[in-house]
Amino acid sequence: MDSQGQKYQVFEKERADLAHRNAGSVHAPDAEMALENARDVFVRRPNCLSLWVVPERAIFSKTVQELRDNAWREADAASDAPTETWLVFQKQGQTARETFVAHVGAVAACSPQQALSRALETFPNKNVFVWWVVPERVIFKSEDADAPSMFAPAHTKTYRNHLAYPVEPIMRELKSAQEMLDE
Amino acid sequence: MDEQAELQEFQARIARGEKIEPGDWMPEEYRKQLIRMISQHAHSEIVGMLPEGAWITRAPTLRRKIVLLAKVQDEGGHGQYLYHAAETLGATREEMIDALLAGKAKYSSVFNYPSLTWADMGMIGWLVDGAAIMNQTMLAHCSYGPYSRAMVRICTEETFHKKQGMEQVIKYARGTPQQKAMVQDALNRWWAPSLMMFGPHDSDSPNSAQLIAWGVKTKTNDELRQEFINKMVPDLQLLGLKIPDPNLHYDETSGNWITSEIDWDEFWRVVKGDGPCNRERLAARRQAHENGAWVREALNAYAEKYEQ
Ligand SMILES: [Fe+2]
Ligand SMILES: [Fe+2]
Ligand SMILES: [Fe+2]
Repeated sequence: MDSQGQKYQVFEKERADLAHRNAGSVHAPDAEMALENARDVFVRRPNCLSLWVVPERAIFSKTVQELRDNAWREADAASDAPTETWLVFQKQGQTARETFVAHVGAVAACSPQQALSRALETFPNKNVFVWWVVPERVIFKSEDADAPSMFAPAHTKTYRNHLAYPVEPIMRELKSAQEMLDE
Repeated sequence: MDEQAELQEFQARIARGEKIEPGDWMPEEYRKQLIRMISQHAHSEIVGMLPEGAWITRAPTLRRKIVLLAKVQDEGGHGQYLYHAAETLGATREEMIDALLAGKAKYSSVFNYPSLTWADMGMIGWLVDGAAIMNQTMLAHCSYGPYSRAMVRICTEETFHKKQGMEQVIKYARGTPQQKAMVQDALNRWWAPSLMMFGPHDSDSPNSAQLIAWGVKTKTNDELRQEFINKMVPDLQLLGLKIPDPNLHYDETSGNWITSEIDWDEFWRVVKGDGPCNRERLAARRQAHENGAWVREALNAYAEKYEQ
C-alpha cells in the first residue's frame, strides 16, 4: 500500500462578505501542493476569492457533545510554548449554509486547549455545534497575486454551468405542440 | 452515559434534523454502513470517468470536447469529495483505493457497460447522471454532516452533467435519420442499466429500513426508481424515442409507468464482477495507479527534503 501523502483541510472564501469555510480535504506531500490540489478539486467553478489549506493534525476540534466532558481542559496547564495567534472556526447551525465549519475570529494562546477555552469565552454563540482551533502559523493561504492564475480562468468556463444548456424551454415547447396535436 | 441513553439521544438528534459530525457519538453500525455507502459512491465516481473518458479524443467538435472534459473532471472531483467524507469516519484513503484496485470494493454496476458511439455521451449524461441526481438530491439531506455537504456540492455540478446530455439527445432525436438511429440505439443499451442503478428491489435490500430510520436515506430504491421512470418515459417519448420495453404501460390508478421486471440475474452478475467491462475498468484503474507511482514517490521525496 503506498502513501497518498498528508491530509490537509481546505477552506474557501466564496464571496467578499462570507468567511472562509471548510470545503473538504485533500492529500498532498506538502502545503504548496495541497493548495494546488485544493484548487483543482474544489474550485472548478468561479466562486472562490481565497483558499487556505491546513494540515489536519494541526487542528484541535471538539463537537458540542465532546465538550460535555471536561477532561480535555486538563492537558492545558503543562504548556510552556510561546503565545501565538489561533484562528477559531465554528459550525453555527443545521441549515444548508450554516452546516459548514467557518472562520469566526482569532484568540491568542500557547496551547490548543488554551486556544479552545479562550475561543469558548470570546465567541459564546449559543448555536455552535462544532469548534475548531488552528495556529495561524500553519495555515498556508493563497495570495491575492495568485488570483488571476488560480481563480480567474474559471470565470470564462461558462459551459460548466447548467444555465448554458437551455433544454427546458425546448421540452416545454415540444410538450405544448404535442398537446395541440392531441386536441 | 450508557449505550442505551447514547442511542436515544442520537435518534432524537436525527429527529430534530441535526447533522451528526465527526467526533459525535454514533452507533457502530451507522459508521460501518456509511463507510460502505460513501466509499462505494466514491469508487463509482472514479470508475465512472472511464466510459466517457474514452470518448474525449473522439469528440465531434471542440465545444463537445471541452464540455465532456469538464464533466469527466467533475466526476474525478466528486470522487475526492466522497473519499474525504468516508475518511471522517475512520476509513483511510489508502485502504479504500487498495480495496478498489484489489477488486474487493463495489461500485455502481452501470459503469461496467461499454460506451459504443458518441450518442452514448448524450444518453449517459441524461439517464445515468439523471438517475444519480435523484439519489444524490435525497442524500444531500442525509443525517451525516460530511456526506450531506459533499452531496450539496455534487448536486449543483450534476445538473450541468444531465443538461449537457439532454441537449445532445434532443439534437440527435431531431436530427438526421442516422442520428436518430444512433440515439435510439444508445437508449436501447442504457435504459435497463440505468434502472438497475437504483439497486436491488426493496425486498432484497436488507439495510434500507435501518438507513431510513437513521436519516441516511429518505426513500427506498424502488421509490426512487419509480420516480425516475415516471419522469423519463414522457420526456423520451416526446422526442419520438421508443423505450426498449414491450411491456411498458401507464397505470391510471397509481399514475405510474410500469416496466417489465428488471433482469436481476444480469444485475447480480455485473455487481459480482462479471459484466461486459468489469475487468477492463479495473485494469484501467490499476494501470493509472501504477503509472502514477513514480510521481507520488518523487513528490514525497521532494516534500521530505524540504521539511528538513
Ligand atoms: Fe455520478
Ligand atoms: Fe458525479
Ligand atoms: Fe455526473
